[in-house]
Amino acid sequence: MSNGATKAPVSQIVVGVVIAALVAGVAGYWAGTQRGGGMAKAEERKLEIFHWWTAGGEREAADAMFKALKAKYPDIQLVENPVAGGGGVSHRVVLQARLSANLPPDTWQTLGGAELKSYVDGGYLVPLDSLYTEIKYSDAIPKPLANAVTIGGHPYVVPLNMHIQNILYYNKKLFDELGLKPPTTFDELLAAAKAIKAARPKMSPLGLGTKEKWEAAFVLDSLLLELGGPEYYVKLYKGEVDVATDPIFKAALDRLNTLRPFTYQFHAGLTWDESCGLVVSGDSAMVIMGTWAIGYFKSRGWNPGVDFGAVTFPQKPDRILLFHPDTYGLAKGAPHPKATLDWLKVVASPDLQVPTDVTQGGLFARIDIDPGQFPDPIRQELQNYVRSNPGKLILDQHGSIAPFSFTQAYWDVAAAFTAKPDVAGTVKGVNGLFTTYKVQEGAAWYQWP
Amino acid sequence: MNPTGLAARLARAKEAAVFVLPLLAFLLVLYGMLAWTFYTSFADWEGTAPNYTFAGLKWYRFMVGLDRFWVDLGNNLRWLILGVAPTVVLALFIAYLLEIGAIKGIEAYLRTLVLYPAAMSFVVTGTIWSWMYQPDRGVLNTLLRAVGLDALTSGYTTDPGTATYWLILIFVWQYLGLAVLILQASFRSVELQEMVESAMLDGASRLRILFAVLIPNIRGGILVVVSLLLIAALKVFDIVYVVTFGGPGYATDVLALFQFIATYQQHLVALGSGLAMVIFALAFIIIIPYTVYALQRWFE
Repeated sequence: MSNGATKAPVSQIVVGVVIAALVAGVAGYWAGTQRGGGMAKAEERKLEIFHWWTAGGEREAADAMFKALKAKYPDIQLVENPVAGGGGVSHRVVLQARLSANLPPDTWQTLGGAELKSYVDGGYLVPLDSLYTEIKYSDAIPKPLANAVTIGGHPYVVPLNMHIQNILYYNKKLFDELGLKPPTTFDELLAAAKAIKAARPKMSPLGLGTKEKWEAAFVLDSLLLELGGPEYYVKLYKGEVDVATDPIFKAALDRLNTLRPFTYQFHAGLTWDESCGLVVSGDSAMVIMGTWAIGYFKSRGWNPGVDFGAVTFPQKPDRILLFHPDTYGLAKGAPHPKATLDWLKVVASPDLQVPTDVTQGGLFARIDIDPGQFPDPIRQELQNYVRSNPGKLILDQHGSIAPFSFTQAYWDVAAAFTAKPDVAGTVKGVNGLFTTYKVQEGAAWYQWP
Repeated sequence: MNPTGLAARLARAKEAAVFVLPLLAFLLVLYGMLAWTFYTSFADWEGTAPNYTFAGLKWYRFMVGLDRFWVDLGNNLRWLILGVAPTVVLALFIAYLLEIGAIKGIEAYLRTLVLYPAAMSFVVTGTIWSWMYQPDRGVLNTLLRAVGLDALTSGYTTDPGTATYWLILIFVWQYLGLAVLILQASFRSVELQEMVESAMLDGASRLRILFAVLIPNIRGGILVVVSLLLIAALKVFDIVYVVTFGGPGYATDVLALFQFIATYQQHLVALGSGLAMVIFALAFIIIIPYTVYALQRWFE
């Protein structure tokens, strides 16, 4: 083709594209204005959902969720919008854009606690009081779990599980060999660490990975919980403790320092799963990690109760479980509110929770489900404990009593402390964070017990 | 009016539109967003819902009150200096070595080898380097231990005191090839080749030719390399994100990573926009010398 013959079509194409874009824009705008007005028509049986369960193990749990939905409502067409990237970082980027643009999906995954509150504060969620009354969900779940999804007196999301943060996993075979008892207090932990170090000088008894930062706060949380007890723990993250002069916070940092020689040295380079990997590879014997580690150990061929054991840490002065739930809610302005409510009913049902939670690694949100549904003794025991002690649950780091802006910064300081143990500087830094991020104001919503 | 003239003019306008429209769209998107970010940094957007209420310098004050901001600024300056200066010097020597054919025969292969890292993404090279840096089982410490140099082993990116420097080393390694390529190209102008030839006839040493003839005459090339590297170093994000995620603590954090975390993790959108404006201001300062030089050349 000659040059002359192509020139004209190019400009025509450009003009065509511009016109097409204009038409599409106008049509889109018109469609947008029609969205709210089209209520008279029967709502489409469609559900657009945002979630971040895309990694191995979690993908299977998401499939289990949607299978439960299909079984109950075969007519609902599911539009998934999973955003890859663990922990929901990339998920939040995309979701934030959709929400700010007033184009919400029908429902999205959020953690109960501070993250949920940020969506409620933004006015993006519809209160679910009538749904809760209809399915009597408040009676089915522990009170502290209901509190974690209730803001200003209204429940806003339906939790489908509970992850527990303060669990100490240990190499069972090694503990049996050395005649050690799994530690449930700081003194026992230190004694076990010393015994392991003496028997296996090359080992770092306590595994740790702080690349994602929150792992450091986990360990610190367990130490704080033992030194201060549950009321102190809640008061601290509600910003009601003067950290600058508080002996408990300082003592917890000192204890973390005492553990340093027995902790894996290059923790800054490891993610949480890699820190559990230290236990599997024999570099470490113990690690403090949430219930999601059970799935990791199993994926490495370790059997719960045989190769590894788990205990709540600490268990003095009280056995408290620090927890956070995965939840789904109903978007304000959701294109398919009816289908979404159907979905939320499924989320609240054992039909969804049993297959999903068994696969994904948390506990059941409902306490009326038989704990024997779990294949591992660890979660059977935990679920039993929750069943008979539903009041012993407090929001953890991921659930976050304090606003998320504070919590992110707090993790950084905690992780920095594990790398460079400056007690005075850390006390000062953390104390500053409480005022900088207005924690008292932001955490006032949280009620415990 | 001349109808054929009008038709010709219309045709020309159409042609112009073909080129101008994309440019306009590009400028609109780029500078529109920039203006938006600029305004947002003065707004009071905290939380998930947009809030464009004017808040003045509130979030800038907040920013300079954060220890992390100053750590980041310090790290960004380290990146700008240590990511650029060694790269340019090394690239000059390598480009010169390749140019004078000091390493006959393997020159073409060597050039490919040096350029190859630039073809990979930072996510890939960051992962590779973080494996090499791994203190227990990584290749660097393993090699050092194997040859008995245990004293030289280190924690690399897990040591808060030195972590940033190990990250910058990845950057230098990755951008070296690109710098070599540009500098070698700028050696190739005809006048410069003639000058080199006459200098050689006068019996000047090779090192003297490099410093007295080549370097003073490739200022344009060097300026391009330095500007490119400065901008690349300034916007660094991926290496830090992949290798250390800003850690240990926030010892290796940089402005771009903090901007991401402030906006999407902390939901402090005004703060994130303010950080973006700081990065923009730094980029602006870096670009000025290049622009001045380019304009001088233009009007010469």
